[in-house]
Amino acid sequence: MFRNYIFSAYRNLLKTRFYSLLNILGLSLGFSAVIFILLFVNDELNYDKHNLKHERIYRVHSAFKIGEMDDNFAITALPLGPAFKLEFPEVQEMVRIARINDLLIKVENKEYYETQFFLVDSTIFDIFTNEFIYGQPENALTEINSLVITESLSRKYFGDQNPIGEVVESGLNVPLKITGVIKDLPMNSHILYEGLISIITGVQGPVEDFNSFEAERFWSVNLFTFVLLNENTDIDALSQKFPAFYEKYMKSVGDQINATFTPVLTPLADMHLYNRLKADLPTGNIAYVYIFVAVGIFILLLAAINYMNMATARSARRAREVGIRKVVGAHRGQLIAQFLTESFMMVFVAVIIALALVGICIDDFNELAGKKITMELLTEPFIIFILSSIAFVLALLSGSYPAFYLSSFLPVKVLRGSLSSGGRNSGWLRRILVVLQFTIAISLIIGTMVVNDQLRYLKNKDLGFDKENLVVLQLQDTSFRNKVIPFREALLQHPAILSVTNANGVPGRSNQKTVMRIESEEGWKDHAIMLTQADYNYLDVLNIKLTDGRNFDRNMGSDATEAAIINQAFARQYGWDEPLGKKIHYDFEIDGSGGRILKVIGVVADYHIQSLHNPIEPYVIMLNTRPAFMLLLKVRGQNFSETLAFTQTEWDHFASGKPFDYKLLENMLSEDYRNESRIGMIFELAALLTVFIALLGLLGLSSYVAEQKTKEIGIRKILGASVGNLMKMLYSELGLLILIAFVLAVPLAWWRLEIWLESSFVYHTDINPLSFLVAGIAAFLVGLLTISFHLLKVVRSNPVEAIKFE
Amino acid sequence: MIHIQQLSKVFRTDEVETTALSKINIQIEQGQFVAIMGPSGCGKSTLLNIIGLLDNPTKGSYSFVGHEVSAFSERQRASFRKENIGFVFQNFNLIDELSVFANVELPLFYQGVAPADRRRRVEEVLKQMQMEHRSKHFPLQLSGGQQQRVAVARAIVSRPALILADEPTGNLDSVHGTEVMELLKKLNAQGTTIIMVTHSQRDASYANRIIRLFDGQMVAENLTHHAESLIA
Repeated sequence: MFRNYIFSAYRNLLKTRFYSLLNILGLSLGFSAVIFILLFVNDELNYDKHNLKHERIYRVHSAFKIGEMDDNFAITALPLGPAFKLEFPEVQEMVRIARINDLLIKVENKEYYETQFFLVDSTIFDIFTNEFIYGQPENALTEINSLVITESLSRKYFGDQNPIGEVVESGLNVPLKITGVIKDLPMNSHILYEGLISIITGVQGPVEDFNSFEAERFWSVNLFTFVLLNENTDIDALSQKFPAFYEKYMKSVGDQINATFTPVLTPLADMHLYNRLKADLPTGNIAYVYIFVAVGIFILLLAAINYMNMATARSARRAREVGIRKVVGAHRGQLIAQFLTESFMMVFVAVIIALALVGICIDDFNELAGKKITMELLTEPFIIFILSSIAFVLALLSGSYPAFYLSSFLPVKVLRGSLSSGGRNSGWLRRILVVLQFTIAISLIIGTMVVNDQLRYLKNKDLGFDKENLVVLQLQDTSFRNKVIPFREALLQHPAILSVTNANGVPGRSNQKTVMRIESEEGWKDHAIMLTQADYNYLDVLNIKLTDGRNFDRNMGSDATEAAIINQAFARQYGWDEPLGKKIHYDFEIDGSGGRILKVIGVVADYHIQSLHNPIEPYVIMLNTRPAFMLLLKVRGQNFSETLAFTQTEWDHFASGKPFDYKLLENMLSEDYRNESRIGMIFELAALLTVFIALLGLLGLSSYVAEQKTKEIGIRKILGASVGNLMKMLYSELGLLILIAFVLAVPLAWWRLEIWLESSFVYHTDINPLSFLVAGIAAFLVGLLTISFHLLKVVRSNPVEAIKFE
Repeated sequence: MIHIQQLSKVFRTDEVETTALSKINIQIEQGQFVAIMGPSGCGKSTLLNIIGLLDNPTKGSYSFVGHEVSAFSERQRASFRKENIGFVFQNFNLIDELSVFANVELPLFYQGVAPADRRRRVEEVLKQMQMEHRSKHFPLQLSGGQQQRVAVARAIVSRPALILADEPTGNLDSVHGTEVMELLKKLNAQGTTIIMVTHSQRDASYANRIIRLFDGQMVAENLTHHAESLIA
């Protein structure tokens, strides 16, 4: 019996090649999209879960309230971890992880800039799961100047040999001894460390100071702290002890600076998707996971709809077969099995093709999604289970309507031919399904356009400073930094290098916050304020406009230590109507002594110091007292490579062997929007795919309509209908369906996109109604074009042929 | 009204050339009722299609009410057709999805007749065909005879000078067949020219002139007794 089903399903697929092809194409495209989405979502949801103890690992983050401002940081103070372990018996172990930016590592004569090196406590291996290839976790990081590296780094430095005991030079100005090699971390690790250095290595000054629990030290946050809790620890109960902890260790300082602090615990596995904190490493976003899943469901739905539509459309042809089978004794269950066999076979073929497609496209996918997923993941039982369930549901869903509908035909009616093709009801269903498809497709087209609008807005918005033709150099070590003035002078010899500034931050990068005292009518007030220290040229190089007062001036001796320039937001926020001459107390001790009093000499127009995700905050610029680590070159746009070559020559001259590295400010800024441009591309792909699948469906339907209406069109032509009349008749229905889809899609898309823009960006484009119009018209036009393929043929054929057809 | 001279129609496929009509000469005057007879495949329908401006001849001339139409473009044929010719088919060729009223209304719609005018004329012609009580029904709800009456109503609603009927009784029982033939006779009596293809000697007897085709050629023409009496 089953063989009979398979055989007749196979023959049916072959007999209606065109429809089968459209269906299989739609289903396999849909299914490959779903596989990718599944891989992506699986990867995102499993961040850090390779750690066997992940359910007991928490990150401590810092919730500050300074004055009226709430500030949440992913990092904590140095002594917090040890104090936690001391205070709370629930804390079985803790590890501190401090990031080192761009560490120079020198192996024999080769130099590398490493971006994934961290200073860590030796307890890291008790908490996180790492497999050692060489060395032992127990003692790998207990000694000063020890370094544990990953397998691929070991291969990069030393080839295939065992590197234990090898010594490398480092930008920390001490030699580091390799004490362990661990397996590379899975890509979906929040902290993707490649090199781990014992934390004591980074300690400057006496070790006693490093380990002290002095209250002041709890207020300067600079590294990640993770804790391993005992099994079955009640997090709420533990958190209730935090106020007492604050009281004991931190309150004395907090009261002086008008601030409070609360530690917050986040489960390790939630860090990647649910945390949005300052000073964190790049995270994912659960919203994008939802978007992905929604897109996947849409695409699958579309493909299933195509199948249903075409199957019911052809039902008239199949009706006869059903009638005959019933007359010769088939009962309904057997017919349902028969039709389901067909849809299962179709889905099976589609899945095979989809897997091949995934194999072909996986590299492009990885690039787009920023992942390193391999096909091997598809052999995991969980993934196989999910995929086969989806395939099963898909086959059932797309096969069910034809199966249950067709099998319900009464043989007498069918064979007498009084069943008009497809029936009136299925006609309605088809229309609803087409509307649904186009609602989805139009929504996604609108989404694509709005996301692109926003990307364009981000790219083109006047940020209040010049970002073009700015080269950023980072001066890694102090000896190089001390030569910054001659280096700068040498650079300025080149006619294409217009000006140079030395600063410890550029817009979008390294703008730390510091607690300052600000003059107000009620005396001094403490506030955490964003700060850049730079030289005299900073405003000129970035072309930042002054609205009041003056720029720093070399001829004013006091500027070097006493001048500050603020932005308009600063004056607004702290109620300074006449900001010039107002005072800011900076760099003071906890008790308020020492430091410097700065006077405001100028006010700059608000510019975007941070990405457009953030509002413009109060901000201070002051002159640096020591050479800073960033050098910003304003260059001419022409002959850029020649200018760059010159810069490198000078670099090599001054940097005493440090490898040359540069960035363009414009590129650094656009990195902040990498997530958005990724979303933009994903939207584009999804829109393309859904539109394509929807069009496949239309193509199938229109071919059916063309077939069905051949006679009617012939009659109408004989009675005098022109080609125009007929087109109008045939297209008006499609037009109406697309119009309905449009009307449904507009509020849906508008509402969703408005939420996205509002929640993700402080500064965003307005949704342009034109996008909606364009999306609607585009959908209509491609729809028109698609159905024209079949309908035009019929409309233009000789009517005599059509009516002879009977 | 119709002058056909040396008219030929050749169908070509890649390999085969079939001559459907060969050097036909016919003249039909206004008000005649002509039956075209002959065995299957003799070219009857081809001739009817050419006369009905559904197809162009390969050679020869065809003049319709003084216009040489043999070289008309598709568009010209269509506009000429809808103003001058009504069609009745063996299988009725009604549109199943449209009501009786809408089916009859179609030619007027395509001629651009105003809606009120259309309504009046459709009602008029349905009354004439005694189908006014069925105007809201759909074709599949009617008997074959009724369907053909609707088809005739549709053919005459635009008041064409010529009606072409392709085996109009072929799908009808004899009672309904007679009914339709009587209808055509009545229309002819009112002045409409009718050309009818038929196999049936009985139907042909309603005509006043019979043209016989065999293998694409005219083999005989005789006036029936009706015509003879008319001329006499």
